[in-house]
Amino acid sequence: MKYFEYGDPKVSALDICVTVASMIIGVGVLNLPRELAKVTKSSDGWISILIAGLLAMIAAFLLAKIAVHFSKQGYFAYTAAAVTKPVAYVITLLLSFYFLSYCSYEIRAIANISKQYLFERTPVEVIALGFFLVVIYAVSGSRAGIIRLNLLTIPFIFGITFVVLSFSLTKLSVVDLKPCFISSITELASGVKASIFSLLGFEVVLLYITMMHKPQLAPKAAAIGVALPIIMSLAIYIVCVGVFSEFALQEVSNPAVELAKEMQIPGEFFERFESIFFTIWIVTVYTTTIMAFDCCIYTLRSMFKKIKHMPAIYMLSPIIFWLSMFPRDVNSFAKMGDYISYLGVGIAVITPMIIYLFAKIRGVKSDAL
Amino acid sequence: MKAREISSMFKQLFGRSSPSRSYTNKSNPTAAELSVQHLYPLVQDNLEAIKQALHHASDLVIRSFSVGPSQTPCATASIDGLVDTAQINEQLLKPMMHSFDYLISSAEEMCSVLEEQVLSTYQVKRIATLDDAIYNILSGNTVLFIDESTDAIAVTTIGWKSRAIEEPQTESIIRGPRAGFTEDLRTNTAMLRRRLKEPNLVLDDYQIGRRGKRDVVIAYIVGIVHPNLVKEITKRVLSIDIDDIEGSGFLEHWIADSFLSPFPLILNTERPDRVSGSLLQGRVAILVDGDPFALILPITFSSSLQSPEDYYQHWMISTLTRLLRLGAAFIATFLPALYIALLEYHHGMIPSKLAFSIAGAREGVPFPAVIEAFAMEITLELLREAGLRLPKPIGQTIGIVGGLVIGEAAVAAGMVSPVMVIVVAITAISSFALPSYSFAISLRMMRFGIMLAAAFFGLFGIILAYIMINVHIVNLMCCGIPYSTPFAPLLKQEWKDLVLRAPTIFLKKRPKMVKPQNTDRMKKENDPS
Repeated sequence: MKYFEYGDPKVSALDICVTVASMIIGVGVLNLPRELAKVTKSSDGWISILIAGLLAMIAAFLLAKIAVHFSKQGYFAYTAAAVTKPVAYVITLLLSFYFLSYCSYEIRAIANISKQYLFERTPVEVIALGFFLVVIYAVSGSRAGIIRLNLLTIPFIFGITFVVLSFSLTKLSVVDLKPCFISSITELASGVKASIFSLLGFEVVLLYITMMHKPQLAPKAAAIGVALPIIMSLAIYIVCVGVFSEFALQEVSNPAVELAKEMQIPGEFFERFESIFFTIWIVTVYTTTIMAFDCCIYTLRSMFKKIKHMPAIYMLSPIIFWLSMFPRDVNSFAKMGDYISYLGVGIAVITPMIIYLFAKIRGVKSDAL
Repeated sequence: MKAREISSMFKQLFGRSSPSRSYTNKSNPTAAELSVQHLYPLVQDNLEAIKQALHHASDLVIRSFSVGPSQTPCATASIDGLVDTAQINEQLLKPMMHSFDYLISSAEEMCSVLEEQVLSTYQVKRIATLDDAIYNILSGNTVLFIDESTDAIAVTTIGWKSRAIEEPQTESIIRGPRAGFTEDLRTNTAMLRRRLKEPNLVLDDYQIGRRGKRDVVIAYIVGIVHPNLVKEITKRVLSIDIDDIEGSGFLEHWIADSFLSPFPLILNTERPDRVSGSLLQGRVAILVDGDPFALILPITFSSSLQSPEDYYQHWMISTLTRLLRLGAAFIATFLPALYIALLEYHHGMIPSKLAFSIAGAREGVPFPAVIEAFAMEITLELLREAGLRLPKPIGQTIGIVGGLVIGEAAVAAGMVSPVMVIVVAITAISSFALPSYSFAISLRMMRFGIMLAAAFFGLFGIILAYIMINVHIVNLMCCGIPYSTPFAPLLKQEWKDLVLRAPTIFLKKRPKMVKPQNTDRMKKENDPS
């Protein structure tokens, strides 16, 4: 029975913008200030964030621009036409694997931090499983629903961040922010690397563009979508440096969450606000995770059309969960994050651009008007 | 699997036929499929057939007589109690038996003379089949059989007792009309007509149910409503194939998009003003005979938090009230769960002074907070249910007994802490503050689930439950409209009448989400004067 739809099921430019933003805002932002404090001096990390942000915005803009060319046929079909089918299989499988591991990473990260702030005795596996089951619930729904969910959640995330930052201002000491411009170019460059890694996620525009009503609006929407998390990271970073000072910041494990611990709410209605902040932050990590899972299914099903939606979920879920429990300790987990980021930059950002060049040379049919 | 898929499977399984019909086609849907047994020429045969069909019902009244100079045998058949006997006497029997002096040559002529000159009732119609005759008799009409005629005449003589118009029980408001719908369909449609003297208001009448043949009216305003919406809703209503739809609730559950969702996907209301307001917004209303509740669809999540009174009060007051309701919905759903989570998992989050007083109050309570909360919540639900079922005078006693015994005595006996009583009381008050009863019920139901989640995972569990509710809502559709509109998809214009109720002069447009064909409800100039 076909469902009655007289509303427009396609997504708008605003939806894409919010989707990109909410894909990027995940666990990365929580950790970024510490990573930056490790490699840069004083408060110079903001230069790194800005440079990385600019790069990410350009990359997102270009990716979306390229994606417009396959806004109807989809990434796999386009790739297959550009670089022959076997190569396309490999590339799309890698992309699928990237999203799969991205999903695993987020699940493990949320379980780790939850254990730190909300539970003391509950094992990581149980927390992760609870979270993952809810992820599966969302992924088994409709894709348009996921996009709508982003729209529902993003205001809360920006709202709670704003609250935390503004109440932390009383603890901010400007002295800690000075002096400026003392980091060397190499230090800034490694800061850029760390920032780029936390800004990954805009690749979703490659896939979700096929749902868009007016794909030609995607580049601008994607760029704005990247800009929002950049502003957020910048603000969090500067406030973190101001509150903790650069040296202490290197030792703080989740600076953004710790910030919520430091802040003081007038009226003292809540103590330990970081639990509330983190609890709400779970929502944005959740949206990131479901989109990563959904993109994984999306890419798989674009190659193997016979696989249905639900069997794909049942098939992938154990793999994702196993992968998320794979890292033994904090170090191997951080390493896993690095590998995933390298994979992301390579397969989801650079490869589509190369494919675009091939497609241009071979004159592949474009969906752009 | 998605709820919708399951429901579609379910529907296919039980063979819901979906007749494709134009939404303007108003012919009787059941008439077409009836076995066409034409009336017999002789009155006596017809009467026999009807008696047999009704199994010699004791309330079937048959009056045989002969008419006019030609002494044509005639008979009326009706059901005692459904008809107005004085009307039959005065307008049907008297003119036919006493003052009929036309010379008639054929039965056909007889019928037309009766119709045009003799019967002084305001509605008569010809019927040709036996089933039609029986249907008319059972709906309170009087059927007049004439010898040798191929047609019988059905005279509208409905005269049963119906309840007077009263104030709606479930949706009382301070300011605004006090009239509520009754069980009588005609009274209800008349109340709509009285509110809207709009020639484009269409009331499509259908008989639904194999045996019940209940009248169902689908109301909409041509020119505002999207035609596809009416078509779809009509299709769904006509797909109902069952003995009898016992009320609007049954119809609601049959045509709603998902039967697994706890949220009301169709709004029910007793208020004509709410129905007329919704019709003007481009929605469709369904009225069912024998039920004082009208259905309004499509609706979204936010509709359940709005009350018609919002439009009668000053906009600031309405805005504040809506905010209050939003808070009430949140409290009614999450407060007990938050209590459990804070007490069992996150003591540190409670400010120290408060933590001391809570700990002091809980001293001696033998149960953990989870058990305490569940016991109290269940007791409260029991009290509410008992108060509803009991006759009114005793119902009040239950309130007193419940309030005193459960509140005072349980605390005095050290079974529960006073803090828990406060939490339960605030939750109950909040859930009563919601304007839609069915919405409040679904929140009450979800509350228990969230309490369980909080018991297992604390705050983490609550946020997971919250996410699940959100995921469920964004996947819900109501007649083609996402249930989360206008939050997502974002429709900025609708925010004027969402939580904020902007001053009336700024509400220039009809809600865009139902895709009205005519979007403006005021003249277009920017100047509001």
